[in-house]
Amino acid sequence: MLQAVPAPPLLDVKDLTVQIDTRRGPLLAIDHISFHIARGEILGIVGESGAGKSLTGAAIINLLTPPIRRIQGEISLQGARIDGLSIQAMRELRGKKIGMIFQDPLTSLDPLATIAQQLIETLRAHLPLSPSAARARAIGLLREVGIPAPEQRIDAYPHAFSGGMRQRVVIALALAAEPELIIADEPTTALDVSVQAQIIELLKALCAQRGASIMLITHDMGVIAETADRVAVMYAGRIVEIGPVAQIIQSPRHPYTQGLMGAIPSLGADRTRLTQISGAMPRLTALPEGCAFAPRCTKAMALCQTQRPSLTPHEQGAAACFLLEGATV
Amino acid sequence: MSDPFIEINQLSKDFDVSPPALERWIERSPRRILHAVDKVSFHITRGETFALVGESGSGKSTIGRMAVGLLSPTNGDVKLDHQSLFRSDAAHTQAMRRRIQMIFQDPYASLNPRWRTGSIIAEPLRVFNPRQPKPEQIEAIARLLEKVGLSPVDALKFPHEFSGGQRQRIAIARALAANPDFIVCDEPTSALDVSVQAQILNLMRDLQEQFGLTYLLISHNLAVVRHMARRIGVIYLGRLVEVADASQLFNNPRHPYTRMLLAAVPDIQKIGAGRTTRMEGEVPNPINPPSGCHFHPRCPLASTRCTQEAPELIDGVACHAVARPA
Repeated sequence: MLQAVPAPPLLDVKDLTVQIDTRRGPLLAIDHISFHIARGEILGIVGESGAGKSLTGAAIINLLTPPIRRIQGEISLQGARIDGLSIQAMRELRGKKIGMIFQDPLTSLDPLATIAQQLIETLRAHLPLSPSAARARAIGLLREVGIPAPEQRIDAYPHAFSGGMRQRVVIALALAAEPELIIADEPTTALDVSVQAQIIELLKALCAQRGASIMLITHDMGVIAETADRVAVMYAGRIVEIGPVAQIIQSPRHPYTQGLMGAIPSLGADRTRLTQISGAMPRLTALPEGCAFAPRCTKAMALCQTQRPSLTPHEQGAAACFLLEGATV
Repeated sequence: MSDPFIEINQLSKDFDVSPPALERWIERSPRRILHAVDKVSFHITRGETFALVGESGSGKSTIGRMAVGLLSPTNGDVKLDHQSLFRSDAAHTQAMRRRIQMIFQDPYASLNPRWRTGSIIAEPLRVFNPRQPKPEQIEAIARLLEKVGLSPVDALKFPHEFSGGQRQRIAIARALAANPDFIVCDEPTSALDVSVQAQILNLMRDLQEQFGLTYLLISHNLAVVRHMARRIGVIYLGRLVEVADASQLFNNPRHPYTRMLLAAVPDIQKIGAGRTTRMEGEVPNPINPPSGCHFHPRCPLASTRCTQEAPELIDGVACHAVARPA
């Protein structure tokens, strides 16, 4: 549906492949994944732990550290390649063009610096502002993210804030330099339900105001349902299905997505038995030769054991399954 | 309604979180008491699942720990089959302990990494049935492993050889080894992925039917609770604010906190849904909770009465504004 837009997408990832070097040989943590994010769009990335969601986010902004490294792939932001940038150029890009929000708001803030110091440092690193102008801007940002009495609270240390308030500060930091893209890695997982709802609303509203796109990485399908425009479902380092959020939830095409949707207990349904996918996701050390989901798949065929399906587009999205390519049992 | 099997009666737990005595004396500061659980009462019928939901710091795990006897209450009592759990009578305590087991949140922390699975499951057998001959014990372990969907040869493996979901199955097998009537499940699936969570929840329900188990399920996940429980208690800062049948609680929540919580839960059926209710504030610090009704600073229905007086749980709801006049 977004393919008709002639301008390049905000973020375009092609064939991204990430490898972990171990003593027993290399492991493919992310296996040739491609996707794009349009301007102002919220793309959800879901998957179980170990599926490669967070690594995808880290690979985009080149935060991978050995033994993890990107071995292949093109990443373009606004049509310009960013995968080959120097360390210095990448550092300027992070924060300025791409903001990051991590799961645990306590560890993403420096406990030994006041909120003011952290915000002002970030602002002045990216924008030509005087210290007093940066401070005024920082107070404005804190007000925007809903921190009461920001003039007084700005000089407090992170420990004086509650979990929800800290995550608001982290959002303020991520938005400080008006980035085009926010990579939010499990931004609400450490928070209580009532606070989680507030943070999601805030993130959505602020990005809509600024026209920023969000790459929302989470394992919580409920958060995705309420927030995202499109969803990419990851399994064992690959994207198995991608499409508009309503399609993924209501009429998933890939057997894994179908199983996943049945496995999620919902508030609407009464006490019914959940669909269950037997087994667990394979470890990276023991990836099957064919489709990674084949050992747990009820519809697996002989073909699935030996060959890997690639993403096949359909009218709304795409899914990687031989069944959708017209293969029969 | 049938006879209550588990009765939790006016259960309270205070924790002393004061600074050391010398520091208190120098700074002339008083003792600080955290009222983790404040006069909570409910009952569970035999064979049913009762769920406690609440946010972090609400005291739900503390109630769970008291319900199995791991913590002794400051006030109040827990009764199983009309017998109190807290009597200074060792033989009685031992007999009660066999009937009550617990499943913990983190299967990576609740299994001893140096013990083989077989020994982990055998421990309750050894404790509660010390005269059981060894071959019978091994047979019992194999049966238990099969019941929870593992294979008898897994008895020889160590916990690190299993995935999170399989470890939780081992923890369930250990709980079943004592042949209990009542199992307290404290966030049994919070550490697991959704597809594995579904396996564990289905297993818990199958075992409940098979053995007639009674569950106290403690969770912050309302969708899981909805799926598992017949009756639900909502807890806020140590106090029970609403108790109701599951369908009634979800279709017709009465307490303002329950309503807020239900509106806040992200759910896969709310695609692109804008929020109708605005969420305000966070859970206050339990050491210094608001006066009167703990929820009044966040409550849209609060009146001056709510700031002074704690509401009683009447007819399943503890709120001045929505309780029907007696």
